[in-house]
Amino acid sequence: MLNPERNHVENEMSVQNMPMKNEEQKPIGYIVGGGLKANLQARLTVPAQTVQEGAFVVVESGNWLFYGLVTDLQLGSTDPRFADEQTEDRLPSHLAKLLHGQTLFTNLEVMAALMMEQGPDPLAEPEAYNEWFQKVLDEQIRPEPVKTVPQHHAEVRLARAGDIAEIFGKEGERSFFRIGDTIEGGHPVCVDLDKLVQRSSGIFGATGTGKSFLTRVILAGLIKRDKTAVLIFDMHNEYGPDDTASDTGMRVPGLKGKFPSKVRMVGLGRGATIRGKSPDYTLEIAESDIKPEDVMMLAQELNLRETTPTTLEALRASFHEAWFHEFKHMRTNAYNFDEEGKRYPAPDSVEAWANEAGVHPGAAEALHSKLRRLFNAPYIVEQPAANALQQMIDNLDNGQHVVLSFGKHETDLDYLFVSNLLTRRIRDVWEHRTNNFRSGHQGASEPRPLVIVVEEAHKLLNREMASQTTFSTIAREMRKYYVTLLVIDQRPSQIYDEVMSQLGTRITGWLGDSDDIQSVLTGLAGRDALRGMLAHLQPKEEVLMLGWGVPMPIVVHSRRYDEVFWEELLGDKCRRSSEEILDELGF
Amino acid sequence: MSEIEIGRLLRSGTTGFVVGCKVNQLNAPSFGAMVRVPLEQNYEVYGLIYDIHIEDDGLVRQLITAEDVPEEVLRDNRENRNVPVEIGVLALGYTHGEGVFHLLPPRPPLSLDAIYLCSPGEVANFTGKGFGYFRQILRDRDKPLEELLAAHLRQARGAQVDVGNEGWFEDAVKELITLMRDDYQALINILSAVSEI
Repeated sequence: MLNPERNHVENEMSVQNMPMKNEEQKPIGYIVGGGLKANLQARLTVPAQTVQEGAFVVVESGNWLFYGLVTDLQLGSTDPRFADEQTEDRLPSHLAKLLHGQTLFTNLEVMAALMMEQGPDPLAEPEAYNEWFQKVLDEQIRPEPVKTVPQHHAEVRLARAGDIAEIFGKEGERSFFRIGDTIEGGHPVCVDLDKLVQRSSGIFGATGTGKSFLTRVILAGLIKRDKTAVLIFDMHNEYGPDDTASDTGMRVPGLKGKFPSKVRMVGLGRGATIRGKSPDYTLEIAESDIKPEDVMMLAQELNLRETTPTTLEALRASFHEAWFHEFKHMRTNAYNFDEEGKRYPAPDSVEAWANEAGVHPGAAEALHSKLRRLFNAPYIVEQPAANALQQMIDNLDNGQHVVLSFGKHETDLDYLFVSNLLTRRIRDVWEHRTNNFRSGHQGASEPRPLVIVVEEAHKLLNREMASQTTFSTIAREMRKYYVTLLVIDQRPSQIYDEVMSQLGTRITGWLGDSDDIQSVLTGLAGRDALRGMLAHLQPKEEVLMLGWGVPMPIVVHSRRYDEVFWEELLGDKCRRSSEEILDELGF
Repeated sequence: MSEIEIGRLLRSGTTGFVVGCKVNQLNAPSFGAMVRVPLEQNYEVYGLIYDIHIEDDGLVRQLITAEDVPEEVLRDNRENRNVPVEIGVLALGYTHGEGVFHLLPPRPPLSLDAIYLCSPGEVANFTGKGFGYFRQILRDRDKPLEELLAAHLRQARGAQVDVGNEGWFEDAVKELITLMRDDYQALINILSAVSEI
């Protein structure tokens, strides 16, 4: 039995937290058929235009609420002739209207996803309501997957703000972050950021659908939440610095500008500038850090031959860590002549080394030639000026977030090589720390969870590459080593199925290609119903959220990435003067 | 309460009855009008006129074939007929005290019971308790249903508007559509007839 004071407090809370029973939301129809395997069928009692595909609806049946999505609207008639004949031409308009109201109808197809026991009326049975609400607070009563069906003629209504909050969480509470609003009603829809990063996730959508803006919104949420470190491989230099929108020409604030002390901008290569500004520091890769696997991963990009692994293995056997440096400085087609005038390979030539190592000289020469692009990369140096990689790891450890901007090194080769090499190194560090932590090493603290943001992910996670890159390992092992991926791509069909099926949360904008649609829905229940919904999304600012990380699929009008967003996220902070920002930075 | 007597009962059954009336009483009843028959024990049977029938007799036949029949003779034979005008009534239900029942009456009226035309108030009272009595009308498809319903709805709409029930007509049409929507042609015929009123 709850004491009266507590009851009062809980009633206060209930008003704020729970679905408001007296909130206006009239029925839009009633259940006429369907089942668990097939979707539910509801007869619409309001004009069809008031409901759209993807609408979040609630079916009230007895003591249970069923939450579902509208996946289809179908026109029907009690007799086909009522639909065929244009009776409005034969009958006065008032009679025709009555006839159509009784004989022509629209059926809703509702994909029921969750059900939840409904509490008693708080006014009629306050004690029973308090008991029920306590169970909700204790999470004994939670929305659960649908295991039964509502009764015939159960009322269907559009979801209220309280229903959405009940399922998707309330903005500002725990780790709930508003990602957008429902299409009907504009009620806030949240995503649980802590859950989002527990498994790898994906943001998909054809070009121009607002993928990058949505990613910025989520990244801003993660950085503000500050429970997870974020490492962004910013191939196109759009997340760190301020940018200009390609379609509207409006200024788009970057993460660095909004979180100056939290976000570290790292440029690739000495003297790198990003959109004319100097980064916090630059990253150079030591030649000794490059392993043969890093080169093998570029097999497709560099068009490497089948003999490459053998050659690389021989290089490693000959020079160990210095293989790249040594190989780089070998000469090709360099010959000396002996006293008899006979030609032989120069001692510092590729051919001389190949002969000595027992490798086919032609294969070694070819590899040397193909690696020239890497040899010429200015960011690969013998001795980096600073250990930027360690600095990045320290930043990520110390509650900061890193945006690695590729600056002018925007080729696929740069992106594949650097992102994979860094990820391998960082993951090794996290794996080591996790093992220390799990085995109870003295002083070993729990690693800070890390999310690695990968753009154009299909280049790293396609069928050919997936088995070789660290990214697919991270995607597969989930949060075992506290590292997950946030994959951003416009061609999800190019990503290996096995990786796609491991993505916990998928947020997708409009996709035109049926293969891409199919791919985004890989491994999810209700694919057929969701497929149509995905194809009919608005080309801009409408996204479908689905997968493990969200309680049920839902179409969302995504949050706009504008000044209002920043004001809501940071409050007055975003209007701080430059003096205040400098002060925070310690200057 | 209306006291316009239109005739007396000739023959009856559970589902309807036939009323005989004089020609000078024929101005009052009309096709589709509602009538009532007071019975014993506070029962009143309500019905709907679906047919008005004028039988010939031998004298009329002779007069039609005769030549140069004086006007007075024709008028005399028209007004003082041997055979009464027959009015077919469809039983719609009954009242018992204050109760209105859209069911067939417990027993039919007896011969020579007086039949009265319903007043607008009586029509509004009987038709204002739902549309269960449509069952009795729609049961017999041999009758001119479309015309009968149109005439009835016209009378009842007037009576309901008088008592402030403006939405009655729309509700009645909706009910008819619901009852008849499985028979496309019949429903369209009914609505065509209703659209004339």
